[in-house]
Amino acid sequence: MLNEYRHRFLNESLQFILLDNNSVVVESDDSIFRVMQGESITELHPFFESIPSLLESEGETFKFLCIHLCIHEDFRIVDITILNEKPNSVLIINDLTEHYESYQSAAQARNESVIKTELTVIKNNELEERERFKNLFIQNFSHEIRNPLTSIVAIANILSDTQLTDQQRKMLDFLKESNAALKLMLEDILSLGAIDSGKLQIHEKSFDLTKLFRLLHFTYKTKAKQKNIEFVAVFDERIPDFVEGDRLRLYQILTNLLYNALKYTDSGKISFSVSFNQKWANKVSVRFEVSDTGVGIPEESLESVFESFTQLDVDQNKDGSGLGLAIVKGLLELMGSKIKVTSQVGQGSVFYFDLLLKYPLHVVQEEPKRNTSQIPRDIKRKAKDKVNLLVVEDDERIQTLILKTLVDAEFFNVEILNDGADVLKELVNNQYNLVLMDVDLPNISGDQLTRLIREFPFKNIKDIPIIGLTANAFNEQISSYLASGMNEVLTKPFEKEDLLKAILGVLR
Amino acid sequence: MQKSKKLVVLGHFGVGKTSLIRRFVSDVFSDNYKVTIGVHITKKVVEISAGNTVSLILWDLEGTDDITTIRNSYLLGTHGAVFVFDVTRPSTFQNLNQDLKVVSEKLPSVPMIVVGNKMDLVDAIDLKTVLGENNIAYDFLSSAKTGDSVEDLFYKMATLLQEDA
Repeated sequence: MLNEYRHRFLNESLQFILLDNNSVVVESDDSIFRVMQGESITELHPFFESIPSLLESEGETFKFLCIHLCIHEDFRIVDITILNEKPNSVLIINDLTEHYESYQSAAQARNESVIKTELTVIKNNELEERERFKNLFIQNFSHEIRNPLTSIVAIANILSDTQLTDQQRKMLDFLKESNAALKLMLEDILSLGAIDSGKLQIHEKSFDLTKLFRLLHFTYKTKAKQKNIEFVAVFDERIPDFVEGDRLRLYQILTNLLYNALKYTDSGKISFSVSFNQKWANKVSVRFEVSDTGVGIPEESLESVFESFTQLDVDQNKDGSGLGLAIVKGLLELMGSKIKVTSQVGQGSVFYFDLLLKYPLHVVQEEPKRNTSQIPRDIKRKAKDKVNLLVVEDDERIQTLILKTLVDAEFFNVEILNDGADVLKELVNNQYNLVLMDVDLPNISGDQLTRLIREFPFKNIKDIPIIGLTANAFNEQISSYLASGMNEVLTKPFEKEDLLKAILGVLR
Repeated sequence: MQKSKKLVVLGHFGVGKTSLIRRFVSDVFSDNYKVTIGVHITKKVVEISAGNTVSLILWDLEGTDDITTIRNSYLLGTHGAVFVFDVTRPSTFQNLNQDLKVVSEKLPSVPMIVVGNKMDLVDAIDLKTVLGENNIAYDFLSSAKTGDSVEDLFYKMATLLQEDA
């Protein structure tokens, strides 16, 4: 009988086992597993424990694919067919170990890849969520802190114009310095938030690098002198005066490095150099280097100093947000460069980076700029009739700052409104030359109001210059206010000079 | 008297079915993921009460993201089912109710236990919130790695099967 089955399934990887009704082995060809005649098949492997119930279905065939069997320490992956025939049932074991093992490798690779992708997506979503939360926090934090800070600046400015004793003036100066530091810190947090979220873009245009160098040289030489530290600055003459790059961000990077050098150096020297690496076609590679003889950085901290909110343990009393170097690192990455540092504890540190800058072959000289904080003559002449200015601002402290600034300037008539709902009526009934518009007004926002004004049918109202005032300092927020039709946006906190500059800029 | 009961362990791939069984049967765990193809069958005798044992024949089925494709032959003669999902991968539980419906149709009148595995990798409170929000009802949250709830879930199943007998 076995030979008959062998003929039907001519394959040496097949094993045939005859079973009686009680699942006892009647005969086996033992071509794969050694099975004793007379033993119960259920004793061989747990798989076979399901056999007795199957043998009850007479005449039926059952097929089980890809069963892992281990009998007498012999491991195989098999297909098993059960033929319920009379007088004995037949168990056919087909050894497909090799085939299934190759399938296993393919399945392993496929499943691992699917799981990895899935977990990466989850992780990315989590990171994005965290990033969103962080940015929202920074945005709200920045907004909330700007309003009270504007008030502090305003009050400090008003106070400084009053009769004060020497002691009071010293305290006021200290208050102003603290305000300035707080404002800088806010800018740092905003910059870092913008870098991290990918919202900060590098704007390259031609600028005078020597002028930037001279500005930094002058500023930090003065500051170093106040600390009795020597300050040496060298600019390589082989570098073209005009280069193309983001002047503002380069200034921010160098300021941060120089500020840090000054902060961590109590004696000795700070060196600032801009040196020539190489030049080809219209590109020049420039090395910027700031070195100091300060406290230095331990080797184990050389990486972490570029992380946010990191300050060296050597002196916890140093001021600053701990964001400066993180901003430097982020900005340089955006510019395709990398900040590098060498340092020795007690000896000092050297921070440097290389920038590849294009330089224009034909230099267009910048127009000399007027000192915008001075009231220009043409405005003064026009101001014989006085400039009528409408201020829409609900915060009384800001109103006070504006009023004080403009009244002191002597040629503005100022009207103040608390509520945006009254603005259109006011503009229709009176002649104004300029509107100072807070963005966060009750009832209707300043940008919505601006849109309404820009759609107004009367030209004198429709074209009126509008300066937005806001504590929302993110670039995209400011862009959206400008897009609403505002001519200029002034972020809080602002000094009276900033306000005058903005007003004069728009009126000009 | 010892009864033999066939228990199928099913769910999506990579949810830790094999690890749960290995933890339960041999009290071992490995972080290395090895895909199960076809079915692995093991056995463990569980003592429900003094002198009262159940022999669990554990069928560790190849995981699939489409539960309808499970081979019917594997389910023949099944007495109980454990459906496992991975609490760290929403794709393994976001269609859980639909998957359980399919299993119930394939295995009518068979007791089933639903297990969220790998709970050592997540915050328990966050997890319960997420599962609640997704309307996911489960019987156990387990960890094959730490062994949490592993004995309990199989013991619970053994008890159910004994009551069912």
